[in-house]
Amino acid sequence: MQSKCHLAWATDEEIRNKGANGGFVTATLVSALETNFIDLALVVKKKSVYEGILVLTSDPEEVKASAGSLHGVPINLAQSVLEYAADKRVGLPTKPCDARGIIELVKRKQINLENVYLIGLNCGGTLHPLRMREMAMAADCFGIDPDSVQREEITGGKLFLEYNEEGEEKEQGIKIDELERQGRGRRDACKSCITKIPIMADLACGNWGVPPGEKKTFVEVLTEKGAAILNNALTSGAIAVEDAPLEGIELRKKIEASMQKLAERWKGALDPLIDLSPSERFAFYKEELQRCIHCGACREVCPVCACEEDAKCLGLNEESDAYAVSMYNLIRIVHLMDSCIHCGQCEEVCPVDIPLTLIQRRFSERMQRHLEYTPGMDVTQTPPLNETKLRWSAEVE
Amino acid sequence: METITSICPGCSIGCGLYMVESEGEEGRKLRVVHRKVAPMNEGKLCKFGMRLPSYYNREPLRNSVDGTEVDQDGAIEAAKERLKSMNPDEIAFVALPSTTTNEELVSFASLASGFGGENLSFGFERFFRDIPEEAYYAIENGLPFTDVETASKIVLFFLDPYVHYPLLARRILKAKRNGAQIIEVSFTKNERGIADECIVVAPHEFESLREQKALFKDSLIIGELTPYTNPHLVSLMLWLQASTSSRLLLLKPFLNVTGALLMGGGGKGAEKRKGLFEILDKIDSGKIKALYLLETDLTSVLLRGEAVKETLSKLDLLIEQHAFRTPLSELATITLGSEPFYRKHGTVVNIEGRLLALGGESATGLQILERMGNGRSYEELHSDVKNLLGVGSSEPSEFEIAVPRTERKFEVAFLTEFIDSFISLLKLERKEESGEEGYSLWYKTNPFFWAGIRDKRFVEISPAAMRTLGLFSGDQVELALGELKEKVGFKISDVLDDLIVSEDKLAIQPLEGRWSEVDQRGLPTSVALRRAT
Repeated sequence: MQSKCHLAWATDEEIRNKGANGGFVTATLVSALETNFIDLALVVKKKSVYEGILVLTSDPEEVKASAGSLHGVPINLAQSVLEYAADKRVGLPTKPCDARGIIELVKRKQINLENVYLIGLNCGGTLHPLRMREMAMAADCFGIDPDSVQREEITGGKLFLEYNEEGEEKEQGIKIDELERQGRGRRDACKSCITKIPIMADLACGNWGVPPGEKKTFVEVLTEKGAAILNNALTSGAIAVEDAPLEGIELRKKIEASMQKLAERWKGALDPLIDLSPSERFAFYKEELQRCIHCGACREVCPVCACEEDAKCLGLNEESDAYAVSMYNLIRIVHLMDSCIHCGQCEEVCPVDIPLTLIQRRFSERMQRHLEYTPGMDVTQTPPLNETKLRWSAEVE
Repeated sequence: METITSICPGCSIGCGLYMVESEGEEGRKLRVVHRKVAPMNEGKLCKFGMRLPSYYNREPLRNSVDGTEVDQDGAIEAAKERLKSMNPDEIAFVALPSTTTNEELVSFASLASGFGGENLSFGFERFFRDIPEEAYYAIENGLPFTDVETASKIVLFFLDPYVHYPLLARRILKAKRNGAQIIEVSFTKNERGIADECIVVAPHEFESLREQKALFKDSLIIGELTPYTNPHLVSLMLWLQASTSSRLLLLKPFLNVTGALLMGGGGKGAEKRKGLFEILDKIDSGKIKALYLLETDLTSVLLRGEAVKETLSKLDLLIEQHAFRTPLSELATITLGSEPFYRKHGTVVNIEGRLLALGGESATGLQILERMGNGRSYEELHSDVKNLLGVGSSEPSEFEIAVPRTERKFEVAFLTEFIDSFISLLKLERKEESGEEGYSLWYKTNPFFWAGIRDKRFVEISPAAMRTLGLFSGDQVELALGELKEKVGFKISDVLDDLIVSEDKLAIQPLEGRWSEVDQRGLPTSVALRRAT
């Protein structure tokens, strides 16, 4: 389908004000629920700017309550769709990494994509909530009471915090570049992520390309499903839509390209192994991976992992083996070579701080490049390792 | 789908998490989800935390009297009446606080006090008996993890953080990245290489620690305190702290021990209160005839599970209040079913001194206690908790250390009898030729151990033992204690030649002997080791 770009916004004043960029995403999901277009919405409900909880709901009011940006809640929704909504018509806002995880699970026949409406969100990156608190508090950064922060937003390359000081509403913004020069800012996985616009979703929404000062969402319609859910919201009067201006389309492309360029630079900067010899790299892998306590958290949160209890990484591992690096880790590295989307969830939950994103990326990225395969981007592309197996099976037959 | 903000009950770190309950085609489903904003653990969880759904998916305990199911009112009335009919000296109250809130502990202590109160144990009384009052704080209070991360020297004293307290390991690694020197003193070398220097000490070489005092100077000594810790080992750690200008951090295996110790279960008045093993001895001797167990399965917690059952079967009245059925439920005269920990409303104190609020809304357990006793509201009890902890009237956030510790100076003597006691227990002298006899089984305790859940199913032995017994990869070993035998896998580790290390609680256990003699001295057990056929 030929993609089409619009500017859109919620017609409901409250949603328009509360939601990010004119509340298009919230209004679209609310309308989809109200018109029975979907059964459920999966949204993140804000507890504070540092915390949100997943809510699977058929109640439009709960969706309205979840409106607004939450860059400090870096979760991946793919496994939650699988867990709670695999057989329901569900709509959800998705960052590119959420959508990529879902696409990989679709390929593994875990989720029926026909039932899932992916309202993609352009994403410049998310922040770890505790690092965000530290940024708020640090005297050489925002220097404010972290609990006074009511709202945050990333726009124009800056992180803005809105806070309350002695009864007065205030706002401060600091350039993301500056934060990252200080060793702060976005999660490492986000810094080096080049998928900024979720082109694998049904819609791609964001503020890049929106004329300055306008509370509107730039919406790219990417699939028939995307067109259908947008039309549903339009027909029900929940949103208003106009064509995106050409200069907005160009600006959006420019922003994406410049962020991708920055991400490529980060990839190098975040890799301490580039200049090391193979034996030094091996020593690094061994030292890091031998700390593994086999909690299984990395596997549990992995958005593309579809194996269940009979997984190879579990079945071929024995903790009493005296290997420096366990089979669990080795098998996971191999198994994820063609499917790892480098979202960083595994590293973030690792109780012994193994740099799993770096290790996984070092092995998988080269292979994905060689196989000309980027996981999670195109639902029609078969994962190469699966394809090899299928070809081999066909030859044997 | 319901998301409840919760805390892991696996140890005193108190890791933050979410429990997510949902209804599916296969019924109710429970999932654990990482809560990244939790300052204690940044959302990270160890293997025990990851397995909380199965920990919570146990059979609920129903209300019953003499084996017959009754409603809650009936069970409470029967418990009240029967307790009132007993002589106060014959009643004991025990709570090892892993799933009990501060409010429940205050209520439980008040209930015990109403019945005489001297036989109340939170499991740690005996450690305060022979130490100066000025040193109580080192046992009662922990330290914030920022103090670990910023320490310049850390001594891990018989503590493998990866096994005992996995979420502590990353704090020590951070200290190491910050330039700290990490020293490990133990019977085994930590295979994951956290320490810069490892001092493997056999018990008969303990005297050498006196000469190696300089090694500990100005350090943060990290050890652990469990109901099984040898009190002489505690004295040794206190002596090391006092004589080397160091600080001591004692991790504990139950979530709310810090809360329990700071709210009256600690040093103050400990000499009057009976300890856990004394209570068990008194049950054996018939002096205690009634026991109220609050969320405490002694067969899981204590090494000698079968002996626990034998001892408790001598009681006239056993009241068990718990969320789940335990091996003791069939022995219990009265059972009182409460809610699982993640459903509770209330607070706990973690090892850092954070006052943490649980996200549940239920107060079933607390209401049972209050209906048994004074009938106060949650608000009144919570206010008592804050007074006892000295936090004032505010509600401290999880991001602050609500109960900080104040360091005090004290003196403790170096106890040579400690060395003798340890040598006699472990018999770990290197022999000319090892045979099948004379091995010592040493437990590396961890949350699975205390919850009575098997996890690893192998033991660690030395290369020398492997050679002596002619073992090959894939073999199993048999451990024997008298008539009791257990077959398990093995792993070769850098342990002392005659030492066997287990992270699992094995079924071989001494069946005979007084609790205050066999258990109070610590965990090591002398066993035989052979190749399993």
